[in-house]
Amino acid sequence: MTPAPRGVTLRGVEKRFGAVTAVAAADLEVRPGELMALVGPSGCGKSTLLRLIAGLEEPDGGEVLIGERPVNDVAPGDRDVAMVFQSYALYPHMTVAGNLGFGLRVRGTNRAEIEERVDRTARVLGLQDLLSRRPGQLSGGQQQRVALGRAMVRDPGVFLFDEPLSNLDAGLRLRTRDEIAALHRRLGTTMIFVTHDQTEALSLGQRVAVMDQGRILQVGTPDAIYRQPANLFVATFVGSPPINRLRLSREADGSLTGGPFRFAPERPLDAATLAVRPEDLAIAPQGPQPDITPAVRQPDSTATVLRIEALGSEQRVHLDGPADAAWVVRASPSVRVSPGDPVHISVAWERTHLFGPDGSRMGPAPRPIHLLRDT
Amino acid sequence: MTGRATLPALVAVAFTAGTAATIAVAARQLGEAQAAASRSVARMAAELWELSGGADEAARSFVDAGIAIESVPAPGSGQPANRMGPGESPSEPGAHAYRAGSLQPAVWIAVPPQPRESPLPPTATALALLGSLLMSAWALARRRAPAPPGYPTIVALTATALLGAVAATTHRWADSELEALSDRHAGHALRAVEAALDLGTDPERAARVAGLPWAASAALTRPDQLWTMPQDVGVALAAIPDPPYATPFTVAVGRTTWHAGLVTLPAQGPAAPFRALHLALLGYEETRAPTVPLAAAATAASLLTALILFLLPLSAHPPLLRRTVTAWAFLAPAALLLAIFTFGPLLFSLWISLHEWHLVDPVHPFVGLDRYRQIILDVDWWTALRNTGIFTLHVPLAMAVALGLALLTRGSRRAVRLARLALFLPSITSVVAIAVVWKWLLNDGYGPVNQLLESVGLAPVSWLTSPEVALVTLMAISVWMVVGYQMVVFQAGLAAIPRDWYDAARVDGAGAVQRFRHITLPGLRHTLFFVLVTSVIGSFQVFGLVYVMTEGGPLGATDVAVYHIYREAWEFLRFGNAAAMSWILFAVVFVATWLHFRLLEGRAVHA
Repeated sequence: MTPAPRGVTLRGVEKRFGAVTAVAAADLEVRPGELMALVGPSGCGKSTLLRLIAGLEEPDGGEVLIGERPVNDVAPGDRDVAMVFQSYALYPHMTVAGNLGFGLRVRGTNRAEIEERVDRTARVLGLQDLLSRRPGQLSGGQQQRVALGRAMVRDPGVFLFDEPLSNLDAGLRLRTRDEIAALHRRLGTTMIFVTHDQTEALSLGQRVAVMDQGRILQVGTPDAIYRQPANLFVATFVGSPPINRLRLSREADGSLTGGPFRFAPERPLDAATLAVRPEDLAIAPQGPQPDITPAVRQPDSTATVLRIEALGSEQRVHLDGPADAAWVVRASPSVRVSPGDPVHISVAWERTHLFGPDGSRMGPAPRPIHLLRDT
Repeated sequence: MTGRATLPALVAVAFTAGTAATIAVAARQLGEAQAAASRSVARMAAELWELSGGADEAARSFVDAGIAIESVPAPGSGQPANRMGPGESPSEPGAHAYRAGSLQPAVWIAVPPQPRESPLPPTATALALLGSLLMSAWALARRRAPAPPGYPTIVALTATALLGAVAATTHRWADSELEALSDRHAGHALRAVEAALDLGTDPERAARVAGLPWAASAALTRPDQLWTMPQDVGVALAAIPDPPYATPFTVAVGRTTWHAGLVTLPAQGPAAPFRALHLALLGYEETRAPTVPLAAAATAASLLTALILFLLPLSAHPPLLRRTVTAWAFLAPAALLLAIFTFGPLLFSLWISLHEWHLVDPVHPFVGLDRYRQIILDVDWWTALRNTGIFTLHVPLAMAVALGLALLTRGSRRAVRLARLALFLPSITSVVAIAVVWKWLLNDGYGPVNQLLESVGLAPVSWLTSPEVALVTLMAISVWMVVGYQMVVFQAGLAAIPRDWYDAARVDGAGAVQRFRHITLPGLRHTLFFVLVTSVIGSFQVFGLVYVMTEGGPLGATDVAVYHIYREAWEFLRFGNAAAMSWILFAVVFVATWLHFRLLEGRAVHA
């Protein structure tokens, strides 16, 4: 019943609006049946990329393939894609049934089949009782489901979602996220999901493409994106609270120094950025305490606690260091510190990142060659 | 609180002022009528004095009925006036005086004012005093009481009933007083005409001595000889089998009572074939009780009282009271303007359509729906309505063109902006200017359009001079005129349709035509409706184009409703007809608009 899912391939696709380049030479391979999340800050070109795939925008260069077929010159309606819009874009003068069936009607599908498919879709989404209502009489969540249904009813090869959850309140957003994941499992269709919310992207996408300023910076599994960010932007954009950074500069002897840390890089670098996820840091209160936290057997630096966010399962400790950076540490609630306390910081060096002057990742930072010990 | 003590007092004041105003209106009307009658009698005396060549017997016999006449010397040769009001005559301070000016030396004839019985209506005054006492007592009692929880219905009803009773009794009093005055006056007029005839004056001149507007000097069997007497009155007089001579009697025509009299004519003289002179007198405005002002005064006072009473329960919450009073104060000027300049003229035109109404004639007999009946049977009016209906067919055409243009001229390119401006220009140009230019362009002889047609070998068209073509020409010009405005409105409507709907439809596979049908048209539904209704109403009111270009011609082919009404009023001076037609046109527009709402806006559009 469900047609074979189709992959989507972009080869060097470009789109300019006047002097603004919305999408620059984008290459992307979405595998058949995959749920790909497209994430980036607003204005990064992710929606334009989606509209290029849908055919709502014409590329200024490059090629869009759906399945094996180049579709640059194919009208949106003939691309075998369906799209769910951020505003849902339900036709307000039609009933729910009219909205669901519109795509079939304009294709001249016969009445009985339209009815049958609308009914089936409505059953799947729990819209049976709403079929004769108008969009204006539905709640936000119900409208969302109608928009989803309008895409589903045509059994398209590719689903495109343009920020479909951003108009929902927090609770409903989580629930709908699960529903979309479940829908994907059940339909097995290729889905491309655009969002500006990195949590949404990581939790929903089988693979994630991170975009900034019209470029696709990294494509990978959520885990790869999180643990091996290709560059500083990806590292910073993904993760909450954001990754801790420290600027390093080159000393006369060729070493890189920043705050209390000094590294000997494998090859000479003019400048670099050290980045550490908040959970890759450990802290312990300073002072003559015999029961020093096991994680901080060997303190790498010191700082003072500025503020504590107690979230129950964890606490986020905001520090006033190292140096002029303000790092955040994700610590277990069992670590007893309070604002104003001086603390030892210990770094899990093997999980840190060192980014070169152009922002690209060099690998984990080496162990510092010199540690500024507490007096 | 201040409101609690002040408001009841205000109610009492409003009530008292209302009753006083009601009585004053009637008293003033009566006073004016009496002054007018006195003036008229003085004038008749002066005329008779002149007719008799200075022999005062005629004048004296005329004023036999206890009215003194005094001849006074002219106050000075430099005096230009030939009439004096009370206080101006040196010897008779209260008198109205006329100068019998053609005699040498000129003489002033002064007639002292007729005695007035009671200057105020006794019953109404008593009622008003009683009511005022009642309201004052209530106001005093309210001073210490807390604000009432609800609207004081009983007080409002009592006040309204009392005001109504005062107005009604005043009306009855004024009616009977004026009736009596009118009767006396008619008697004078009759005697004046008799006296003039006795002096050997010809009947027409004699009738004019009476000085009243409707006097007939002819036999009623010869309508062509009627002189300033309404035909209906003549017919009614002729229908009386044996009318009394020399005594005034009344005849009712429509809702108006006319005083009439029959005067024997001398056997010889210029009117010898006729036996008698018929007089129909005093359809005067002054002799009718001031129903409308009385009702207006009483209603206004009732409304005012009711409004103040409405505030009374609010006085328990001073902020609410203040807010309400403030809101009313802000609304009052607009309400007043609306009442005076919108509802006032509206009601006036309705009144005109139900009465005989001419520019100069002070008498407006009620004719009821007669006029509407005539108009409904009037073929010319139906032609005008039909022409208007045909003309209105240009609206859907214009809308289709405007919608097409709106779709074509979207965007902000320079050429497109210029095109939009060019298309919009006719909408902001004076209709008269447009009409004059088109009239020149389409002229049969020297019009550039026909010259162009001829230069390419086509036959010229009688654009405005052929009954078959003229209306179509006007429709085409109208399309050209309104298209720009409609286009701009449509563009606003188009801009309000979210792009997402189009995108969704494209992804759904809808082509351009389907998108237009399923997205654009439904999205423009309210805009289309708005443009349709306003354009149809505007089209029903077309005037300027017709007035300047064709004047309803040729052969009435472009005679549209408003132009027809205009001609009825200002060319034929039939204001009653014009007003009635306006109301019929209003009814037509109203029904058309209601049908629009019913059939289009109310209908659920289900794609």
